[in-house]
Amino acid sequence: MSYLNVSSLCVDFLTENGSVKAVNDISFEMKKGETFGIIGESGSGKSVIGQAILRLLPSNAVVNGSISFGAEDLLSLDNKNMRQIRGREISLIPQNPAGSLNPLLKNKIQVAEVFEVMGVNKKEGIKSVLGMLKNLLMKEPARILENHPHELSGGMKQRFLAAMCLSYKPSLLIADEPTKGLDSFSKKGTLDLFRHMKGEHGNSILVITHDLDFALEICDRVAVMYAGQIVEVGPVTDILQIPSHPYTKALLNALPRNGLIPLHGHTPSRIDLPDGCLFYTRCNLRSDKCGTERPATKSIKGGVVRCHLY
Amino acid sequence: MPPLLRIKNLVKTFEDNKVLNGIDIDVKKGETLGLFGSSGSGKTTVGRCIAGLERSDSGSIFFKGKDLQAMSRREKKKVRPQIQMIFQHPEISLNPRMKAFDSLVEPLKIHGWDDKCSLENKVEELINLVGLRREHLARYPAHLSGGEIQRVVLARILSINPEFIVADEPTSMLDVSVQAQVLRIMEKIQQEKGVSYLLISHDIDVLRKVCHRIVFLKNGRISGVENA
Repeated sequence: MSYLNVSSLCVDFLTENGSVKAVNDISFEMKKGETFGIIGESGSGKSVIGQAILRLLPSNAVVNGSISFGAEDLLSLDNKNMRQIRGREISLIPQNPAGSLNPLLKNKIQVAEVFEVMGVNKKEGIKSVLGMLKNLLMKEPARILENHPHELSGGMKQRFLAAMCLSYKPSLLIADEPTKGLDSFSKKGTLDLFRHMKGEHGNSILVITHDLDFALEICDRVAVMYAGQIVEVGPVTDILQIPSHPYTKALLNALPRNGLIPLHGHTPSRIDLPDGCLFYTRCNLRSDKCGTERPATKSIKGGVVRCHLY
Repeated sequence: MPPLLRIKNLVKTFEDNKVLNGIDIDVKKGETLGLFGSSGSGKTTVGRCIAGLERSDSGSIFFKGKDLQAMSRREKKKVRPQIQMIFQHPEISLNPRMKAFDSLVEPLKIHGWDDKCSLENKVEELINLVGLRREHLARYPAHLSGGEIQRVVLARILSINPEFIVADEPTSMLDVSVQAQVLRIMEKIQQEKGVSYLLISHDIDVLRKVCHRIVFLKNGRISGVENA
């Protein structure tokens, strides 16, 4: 049975230039304990999905479709019940750890604030975070709590935020670009952290990333996004080693070890979407049909693909 | 042929932390030299010293045979346009209140370009060089993607014809397809204009793909050199 089920999700942002289709008819499901990745280039709509699940989108966003989490329909919950889920049941490790911490406050005070809002005893909360920091292989956790955020490296900030998120033992974690801008040493630390969360805590994790190697190491299944649509879903090894969709192939060819071949052209305008396939103008394998008819999703080898070639 | 840039025994300390401990690097004309190391190894400090954003405690940086750190203000003013820098974070590389067009025009005007017609032609030439479209010119940085901003930055730098560019992690915040676009554009510019790059990165795969040589930094010292 699916644990998180996103069905026909559409997110439009109303702007003065028109309605921007950030997410366009997205469906996927996650099983309990699964690590599911959403990969794709910047602006493809990956992060919007994470924000839609947590209902953290700005007021100009129009959301349609359904997102069910266990027995709850997240999009129809009232604010009070959503607050019970946000942070407790579903937690977010945000994209920019530095920007998520108040630079003026000691880490200890920021941890205490979270527990205060949740109505939990502050001392108990700090104790639980201390245990969690130790558990996440951080040295001298007591000293870290006495530090300010600028005294921690990028990787340490991320672990600190992960510890804050995990203290509430959420059953679903959403990690938005966990390796962005990190060096190889810190990336390895992040990988260890996620393996630990997956193995020891049994968390279900939704990883939003453009780091294909990280996705390959940590995810069970992945969805590839392009211009607000999912173009391919399947087991991570199938998708990243024997990709089906021309966009996934192009993405892999852009890796330095595969030749650093750039993807020519531009993504289509999200205000006036073309009638045909959204990848049409950049695709090497296009046919006339691709220019006029939007491909539907088709099931292939344990996954789905959105392409007229199949 | 003497190198375009020569760094001799560069030492830099921040409070009690010796970040650079006797660095020697040569970069030839038209060469891309990679600088690899983990966070805190001193890579960025080398780049900032070359660009004149930091002053070393001791050692010298020779550009075309002249020591940058021993120059008078007047001499520096002449040499500085020839050495430019691309920063890691695209979102803070441009003035958020200026449209891309104005960001491109600003250095041209500073360097005495005052004919409006030829200014517009020059901007057009620059955006073509980095693969941007006219529509990008009317946008503020907030309405450009990370890859587009890095290309505006590159075009802005190229407007004053530098001979040496320090690129500090120019693609670490970009996704793989955009990274490939930006690096290939940098390569094309090198072929057309003969610029030299110091490419700072923690991604060894990227450096091995685009650099002529790679210098490895560890704890402020050079731990190895590799011909790519």
